[in-house]
Amino acid sequence: MTAPAQVPSRLSIIATIVQKDFKAFTRDRLYLFLSILGLVAYVAIFWMLPNTVDETVTIGATGAGVQELLARATGEDEAAGLDVVAFDSRETLVTAVEEGDDDVALGLAFPDDFFASVAAGRPTTVTVVATAEVPAELRSAMESFVREAAFAIAGSPLPVEFQEEILGVDRVGNQVTLREQFRPLLAFLVLLIEMLSLAGLLASEMQSRTVTAVITTPARLSDFLTAKVVFGASLAFGQVVLLLLAIRSLDQQPVLLLTFLLLGSLMVTAFALVAGSYGKDFISVLFTSLIFLIPMMIPAFSLLFPGSASSWVQAIPTYGLVQGIVEVTSYGAGWADSLSNLGMVAGWTVVAFVFGLGTLRRKVHSL
Amino acid sequence: MHAAIEVKDLEFSYGDIKAVDGVSVEVAKGEILGFLGPNGAGKSTTIKMLTGQLRPDAGSISVLGMTMPEQTVDIQARIGVCFEEKNVYENMSGRENLDFFARLYGIKHKDFDPFLRNVGLIDRADDRVSTYSKGMRQRLMMTRAMINDPEILFLDEPTDGLDPVSARAVRAVIKSEAERGAAVILTTHDMNEADQLSDRVAFINEGRIAALDTPENLKLKHGQRSVRIRSRSGGGVEEQVIALDDAGAGDQIRRAVDVEGLMTIHTEEATLENIFIELTGRGLDA
Repeated sequence: MTAPAQVPSRLSIIATIVQKDFKAFTRDRLYLFLSILGLVAYVAIFWMLPNTVDETVTIGATGAGVQELLARATGEDEAAGLDVVAFDSRETLVTAVEEGDDDVALGLAFPDDFFASVAAGRPTTVTVVATAEVPAELRSAMESFVREAAFAIAGSPLPVEFQEEILGVDRVGNQVTLREQFRPLLAFLVLLIEMLSLAGLLASEMQSRTVTAVITTPARLSDFLTAKVVFGASLAFGQVVLLLLAIRSLDQQPVLLLTFLLLGSLMVTAFALVAGSYGKDFISVLFTSLIFLIPMMIPAFSLLFPGSASSWVQAIPTYGLVQGIVEVTSYGAGWADSLSNLGMVAGWTVVAFVFGLGTLRRKVHSL
Repeated sequence: MHAAIEVKDLEFSYGDIKAVDGVSVEVAKGEILGFLGPNGAGKSTTIKMLTGQLRPDAGSISVLGMTMPEQTVDIQARIGVCFEEKNVYENMSGRENLDFFARLYGIKHKDFDPFLRNVGLIDRADDRVSTYSKGMRQRLMMTRAMINDPEILFLDEPTDGLDPVSARAVRAVIKSEAERGAAVILTTHDMNEADQLSDRVAFINEGRIAALDTPENLKLKHGQRSVRIRSRSGGGVEEQVIALDDAGAGDQIRRAVDVEGLMTIHTEEATLENIFIELTGRGLDA
């Protein structure tokens, strides 16, 4: 009987498992293909997207008798890309602007006594209802246009006052292009694909019960779990950093951005622990992952439609992550501006880990 | 000198269901203990506790003079486990599987060829496990269980799925491990295998050990030795079963064989399965 081997250090055991996971990942053609294809496709999509802002704005209007006036006026301004849609009431106009119905991005709510007030020389107020991405210049142009209309009716300048109602976060002067809007969505998609890869690897360990073979060696269950977290987070983080380098998005506040991405990688790793615990094969892993993927993607998609995000979206764990990436990459936010988003992501990551590790631990014990 | 394994009053429940209820057993170094029982009898749960996968609700476990759960990792460094499930990494080769598990024991750069040759896998060692047959995977798992020169081997159905030649090779490996000084706990449904390999067998039923002794002693205590004699008689076949423990058995046998048309004489003894059924009232496949 030979002398028993020295029990290796925890670090050495974890490194051995991570190394094995990397080997298994590179040999799983499906997940490897998805990862590489995803990365290439996302970079291509990003560079193909327009890097300009669409300047055509559809105007909605409400108020007795003003539609004809506006139609005549905008007809003369076709080159400026103005279009008018009439609404029956102020409420339907606000809803249309808020939800983007008929592509209405800006509304003018005239009071019913507008003509009478202007004709009598009485002050009157017109409300400009606009979504966040409508440029301030356009709002000013609309105000000038209404003043001109009032001048045409009364024959002299009249005290028409304007009240602005901005729906969503006001990004006056900071509109982002479609390409920029897609940036956090693409980063997020890469993270989610890696979540799928890790969940698949975990499901395979559970299903084949190789995890049982590992934890009857000097490797503890905590070593196994730590190795999965390290591997999963590294995989996701590495891929998303590659993506951001490829789309040149690490120029501003790189450390802050990398912090967001690291937290995001840890968060999706925690979700993968849960998905991997319940999955049995690729289809069930995909199905289980979708339960997490769909709600988690809502904040990223809502960026494509500014002003459309309801307040409940802010309760989704990934909201802080997406918002943080947007504010850093598109608006140059710094550490101080990002603290609340960082706190939100860190908090949700901790919650996700408590849930994910608990689920996986229970699953292993049940094998 | 400690026994390799000392278990006292071990208990474990899954919720309200008591899976192991007061199991006590000792296994000496170099001894092969057959652990027999039907599905759900508590064998796997007991093995899971002995290998550190489960914590007992009550009772004590001492392995190689160390206690569980306090010294579980130190114990696991000195045991080898071969599972019933073929839990090997399919995307890795046989050699890579062995290397990965060896590293978990802190063993680096080990020459696995002697092990692989011993179980007839040397020619396929660098092929991916996904291309292995069930029997090859089983042999790889046996090899894996021995890479750390374990002082205790836990083998769950080690010859399951093997062809007779491979099964014989694995049994020879088990014997040689015991001769090397390793204690072996062998869980099997194959009564012949348990009979051939085990120094002692433990019958486990409903979480308790129903009997624990050498196969020979169990047969002597619970079985009946007999001689079955068949002979031709008037166009038919006559069969007599004479119990060897009966008074006058010798005379009966002499008379039975001193006839014309004697066909066959067989000595018979109770099988472990018969004894298990007698002791527990249920079969091993239940």
